[in-house]
Amino acid sequence: MSASGIIGTFLGVRSPGTAYVLLHHYMGEIDGAFRAWGFARGGTGAISNAIADAAREAGAEIRTQAPIAKILIKNGRASGVVLANGDEIYADVVSSSVDPRLTYTRMIEPGNLPDDFLEGVNRYKFRGSSGKVNMALDGLPNFKCMPGAGAHLRGAMSISPSVEYMEKAYDEAKYGHWSSHPYIDMVIPTLTDTSLAPPGKHILSCFVQYAPYKLAPGLDWDTEKEKFGDNVVNTIAEYAPNIKDIILHRQVVTPLDLEREWGLSEGNIFQGELSLEQLFFLRPVAGWAQFRSPIKNLYMCGSATHPGGGIMGAPGRLAALEILKDGGA
Amino acid sequence: MSETRDVIIVGGGHNGLVAAFYLAKAGFKPLVLERRAHVGGAAITEEFHPGFRCSTLAHNAGPLRADIVRDMQLEKHGLKFTTPDVNTVSLTPDGRALILYSDTKKAAQEIAQWSQKDAASYSDFGAALGKIGKVIGEALLLTPPNIDSPDRGDLWGMLKTGRSIRRLGKKDMYRVLRWGPMAAADLVAEFFDTEPLRATIAARGIFGTFLGPWSAGSALVLMLRAAGDPSPAGSVQFPAGGAGAITQAMAAAAKQVGAEIRTGAEIAEIRVKDGVATGVVLASGEEIAARAVVSNADPKRTLMRLVDPAHLTPDFVQKIKNYRCTGTVAKINLALSALPEFTALNAKGNGNLLRGRIQISPEIDYLERAFDESKYGNFSRSPYIEITIPSLSDPSLAPAGEHVMSVYMQYAPYKLKDGNWDSQREMLGEAVVKTISQYAPNFPQTILSGQIITPKDLEETYGLTGGHIFHGELALDQFFTMRPLLDWARYQTPVERLYLCGNGTHPGTGLTGGSGANAAREIAKTLRK
Ligand SMILES: Cc1cc2nc3c(=O)[nH]c(=O)nc-3n(C[C@H](O)[C@H](O)[C@H](O)COP(=O)(O)OP(=O)(O)OC[C@H]3O[C@@H](n4cnc5c(N)ncnc54)[C@H](O)[C@@H]3O)c2cc1C
Ligand SMILES: Cc1cc2nc3c(=O)[nH]c(=O)nc-3n(C[C@H](O)[C@H](O)[C@H](O)COP(=O)(O)OP(=O)(O)OC[C@H]3O[C@@H](n4cnc5c(N)ncnc54)[C@H](O)[C@@H]3O)c2cc1C
Repeated sequence: MSASGIIGTFLGVRSPGTAYVLLHHYMGEIDGAFRAWGFARGGTGAISNAIADAAREAGAEIRTQAPIAKILIKNGRASGVVLANGDEIYADVVSSSVDPRLTYTRMIEPGNLPDDFLEGVNRYKFRGSSGKVNMALDGLPNFKCMPGAGAHLRGAMSISPSVEYMEKAYDEAKYGHWSSHPYIDMVIPTLTDTSLAPPGKHILSCFVQYAPYKLAPGLDWDTEKEKFGDNVVNTIAEYAPNIKDIILHRQVVTPLDLEREWGLSEGNIFQGELSLEQLFFLRPVAGWAQFRSPIKNLYMCGSATHPGGGIMGAPGRLAALEILKDGGA
Repeated sequence: MSETRDVIIVGGGHNGLVAAFYLAKAGFKPLVLERRAHVGGAAITEEFHPGFRCSTLAHNAGPLRADIVRDMQLEKHGLKFTTPDVNTVSLTPDGRALILYSDTKKAAQEIAQWSQKDAASYSDFGAALGKIGKVIGEALLLTPPNIDSPDRGDLWGMLKTGRSIRRLGKKDMYRVLRWGPMAAADLVAEFFDTEPLRATIAARGIFGTFLGPWSAGSALVLMLRAAGDPSPAGSVQFPAGGAGAITQAMAAAAKQVGAEIRTGAEIAEIRVKDGVATGVVLASGEEIAARAVVSNADPKRTLMRLVDPAHLTPDFVQKIKNYRCTGTVAKINLALSALPEFTALNAKGNGNLLRGRIQISPEIDYLERAFDESKYGNFSRSPYIEITIPSLSDPSLAPAGEHVMSVYMQYAPYKLKDGNWDSQREMLGEAVVKTISQYAPNFPQTILSGQIITPKDLEETYGLTGGHIFHGELALDQFFTMRPLLDWARYQTPVERLYLCGNGTHPGTGLTGGSGANAAREIAKTLRK
């Protein structure tokens, strides 16, 4: 159970403050089942698609492949955005669901923000600590401890044999090495949703900790990437020896990949560490936790705002309420 | 059975003595009963080798709260502090030394040799700590408020502190709130680039705790210690005669106002009848009845050993069991035939630089690695070390030309994974000597004799349960309104007329006298009602 307290956070199980991360993971309710990180048919992408449908139905418009290069600011007010292709779109309100580093240091021209606010943004800690390994399988893994294809495969399976195991995994990461004996959280979504893979084939999705974004001097993620992947497979093989024979394809996602391809600064899965000094009224920057920013009509609505990361939608909803309170513009 | 005494104080540690003083001043007739042959608890000076005396445990005060020093007229009772010019010498493995002078300007000049930027930040950091420390210091004076039904005094105290916090201005106010739960390593990195400087300051946040510099909450410990002492690395003050001189002066002050003190009087049991404390039973079998009992022993010892748990609710017993109280500090006292020659200091003239604190805390990760070992039940092979050589300031502590060295070592976990402290004691000593000799090669040849005090010894000989030097971990969840336990932070225990006054109560930040003085105020108020 203590595994929940470290997910996505650069803390060991004994580190104080992990109780919040633990609580945080238990906060969500799915279909009334407390502490259910339920599976969505079609993967978590389906959740986003369903939310998108609901938003459209309520009158929102959504454009994809529309990367934003800059947020326009006029007389201290956000007035719209410039897309990467140069298109300008004007708006009364701009609300950013990306993290504060991207929002305030990449999308806003220097000179528009007070120094001490920027100091807070620069101080905001990301320090991603996890990676993912996704595998296409030609069958189901056979776990030594529970042989056969039982119901246990349908839930979340984790390799976290002891508190000491996890603490040691963390120790390596503190000094810039991925854990040689990592904590692994595995799910086989194809057992609940057969549409995700051809008949008889499966997907094994592994969340792996720790994989520190910042590696020790002399190491870099591009060279470590496949070694990291091999180690995950080897670790699983200790528990499910047939795994190596059934892998058809493997995708390794490092914290650096999360940053480069998914726009998550330093690969933090929650858009910033869920440590006490950046939670509640301190998230993301002390004094600016009310979803507002020093720039009028510019709001924050992503995981870098209270109450933080996870697929639960709370920051988005709370931000919308604040925006409406301000009169919507 | 003799006559009923007024107030019995279990234990003559510095907090027990401070409480005795203030209770006597308030018109009570306290009787202090100390199990050891002399008072002082963790603040004592003893001869450990013929002709060599040393602060057996704590070698530096918290520092003492100024109002307590004044009220008790400790100087009149013989206490004299010296503050060395050099505050801290922090050694690095490449043979350098970062020298922090007590004077901030001089310290900044020295830091400039490492980094100009850090030299500038040093006074900023000191100023911020000073401002914030002052506000926290005010909270340390308070009796923690009753959360469920605060009384007028509580509200007034909170209001005052709230106002002081707001008066800090937005920037420092957010600092107080943000820093508390942080890792000390992150906090110092916001100010400094130089590794030994970072680590030397962060070490204040791990001292005496089961935390590494990367542990969340270590910044809180740093801030708490800064409350009485805003000097970035912590000041050094040596009482002539060692730490025992502090408690000897306190005992004299308490006696002068009417307190009575008996040593060699170990209490075996605190008597409770119908939920009310009625007196004590000594190990000798002697019984002494009292109107009230105040315990200077730690909360676990008091409430799990001296009081029969039958008098407590199972819920309370469970909570006190979970009170975190296992120590990580060992103490080594050495008699030296000559001063050790530290390689880094040779060119600069060794002697004067050794008068302050000498620290082995060269980098954050060094400290963190030392901590890592203790998590798995091993003592650190490359430990965090804090050395003082008090005979430099007070030559009477050692024969002419010879010296005493007092060494804190961390981490030495109370619970070892393999073996026990009796079998590991010598190995611990060797690890410390080996570590120091990497910085001072002649060191082993100067050692005449040594005393190695493990966490087990702290418990068995000095009465610190779990070997915890602060009577319980200083942490967010065991602080202020939660020290020692939520609902029981006002020096009162669930047993009526039984109170706590030791370091396991608010503020509990070490050798300051704060807990004893706060407790006495609260106890006098309730006993008068
Ligand atoms: C490997 C991994 C495993 C996880 N596991 C879980 C889990 O099991 N359960 C759980 O609850 N949470 C989990 N999380 C966390 C959760 O997915 C996130 O906290 C959550 O999805 C964040 O939602 P968001 O809307 O705040 O931000 P994001 O999902 O980060 O959304 C930000 C969006 O902004 C877009 N964007 C970025 N820059 C621009 C730009 N310049 N212009 C236009 N668009 C831009 C991005 O493409 C992205 O779509 C996991 C995360 C990861 C990475
Ligand atoms: C090695 C070491 C280094 C330290 N370094 C520092 C430092 O640098 N700075 C700092 O501020 N603090 C330091 N401290 C901590 C500080 O010394 C203590 O927190 C403080 O002295 C505790 O005072 P006290 O009066 O609350 O308790 P104690 O000093 O523990 O006194 C309790 C007394 O009660 C007595 N007692 C216990 N049980 C019984 C019984 N059944 N009957 C009769 N008597 C009993 C004990 O013998 C003892 O005398 C250090 C402590 C140690 C051990």
